Amino acid sequence: MYIIKKRELTSVPVEEPALQQEEEENQAAELMIVNKELAFQKEEKNKRTDELIIANRELIFQNEEKENRAAELVIANKELAFQNEEKEKRAAELIIANKELAFQNEEKEIRAAELIVANEHLKKAECQIAELNIGLEHKIIERTAQLEAANKELESFSYSVSHDLRAPLRAINGFTQILIEDYQDQMEPDALEILHEIVGNSGRMGELIDNLLEFSRFGKQNVSMVNVNIMEMVESIVSGLQKENSDRQISITIHPLHHITGDKNMLKQVFINLISNAFKYTGKKEEAVIEIGAYENDKQCVYYVKDNGAGFDMKYYDKLYGVFQRLHSSNEFEGTGVGLAIIQRIINKHSGSVWAEGVVGQGACFYISLPASN
Amino acid sequence: MPHTDIEILLVEDNKSDAMLTIRALKKHNLGNNLVHLIDGAQALDFIFGKGEFEGRDMENKPKVIFLDIKMPKVSGLEVLRIIKNDERTKLIPVVMMTSSKQEKDIIESHKLGVNSYVVKPVGFENFSKTIADLGFYWIAINNSPEF
Repeated sequence: MYIIKKRELTSVPVEEPALQQEEEENQAAELMIVNKELAFQKEEKNKRTDELIIANRELIFQNEEKENRAAELVIANKELAFQNEEKEKRAAELIIANKELAFQNEEKEIRAAELIVANEHLKKAECQIAELNIGLEHKIIERTAQLEAANKELESFSYSVSHDLRAPLRAINGFTQILIEDYQDQMEPDALEILHEIVGNSGRMGELIDNLLEFSRFGKQNVSMVNVNIMEMVESIVSGLQKENSDRQISITIHPLHHITGDKNMLKQVFINLISNAFKYTGKKEEAVIEIGAYENDKQCVYYVKDNGAGFDMKYYDKLYGVFQRLHSSNEFEGTGVGLAIIQRIINKHSGSVWAEGVVGQGACFYISLPASN
Repeated sequence: MPHTDIEILLVEDNKSDAMLTIRALKKHNLGNNLVHLIDGAQALDFIFGKGEFEGRDMENKPKVIFLDIKMPKVSGLEVLRIIKNDERTKLIPVVMMTSSKQEKDIIESHKLGVNSYVVKPVGFENFSKTIADLGFYWIAINNSPEF
């Protein structure tokens, strides 16, 4: 604050009062200007102070912010420090893993080298196998030719054996019949009976030879597979047998029979054997009851022929399908014992199976199973 | 043996088969002028009037020759070949009567010009009937050339 002193009036000439007054007015005017200036500066100062307060507040706020940021930075730093630790752990693990990988790579290269060697061995082996195969195929062709030749030999052997056996048989049978024919008037009944025995036995021997030949023939034949109407086949066999046995009381039931894939002639032989066996072995019953049927079981088609005839003892089941094996004497029932053996051979060729059940005096049931047609 | 108009020449080495054959033919009156020889060599001698049959009139030819295949000395097929290759004898009907059913024998016989090929039936009854049928056919039904 200025203190404006009034100038002291001293040895100041007393001047004209007008000059003094002008000076006083000048001084007052100056004072007024100065006062205005002061007031203005005071305002400015106040403004500045206000601004400073605001600025201070701003600063304080920013300081707080700065402190918040600092605190956050501290946390962030701790986080970073932690992550660095983790990173270092990972780095350590990676180093171990790398060492492991390096080791495994070495192993792999060793294995690869071994594999190459093994491959070469394999290639050699393959070549050898290919050579062996070619050799084998040659051998197979050779063997097949040999087998075919052997089969042919066997066939002509069987044929000539059967014919060579049959010739003297024809003579025995024939001359005995001639003897009877020409001289029966001159013979005792006993003598004639003996001669009839000779004729009968030689005839039977001829049958045996025929059956044996048939049996061996079925063994060699190849199957030619076609779709067979079993129902039709069985019906025709049954009606034929019924005509032959018209003097007997026979009740036959034929259930629906499935079609099947197989060799027609061979299957016909099977059913002829089965059904004529049923007719034969019920020969001693007043009323023969025969049942023929079929059912499916696990991809197999099973046919059965059941009769109420003489049956058989299950104790001797193993002998049932043997060649020339019989469970009854030829006095009881005629036959050579090849029928079932032939059936088994044929069914085996079809990849099927045969079995039977029997009760002595009550009857029997014979089963054949064949792979079902699709 | 007087050879008067021989009708059947039977060449069969098996004695029993020959006896049964002759009996079957005689039963039907077909075996009256039958000559039975037991091997191929004999048969050729007879037909050509040579060897043990030197002097036999070759012109006296059989109406039919029943010829077995399996025989000792000269086989039936060889006899057939010679007969059918000779102008003088090739017209004589030859019937192979044999137990062989072998296809190769059948073919060979027909290649050589056989007139008929018959497999001997195995059973006595069939055998007799077949012989009788054959005899009847070749003597009574078939017309052989007038020699």
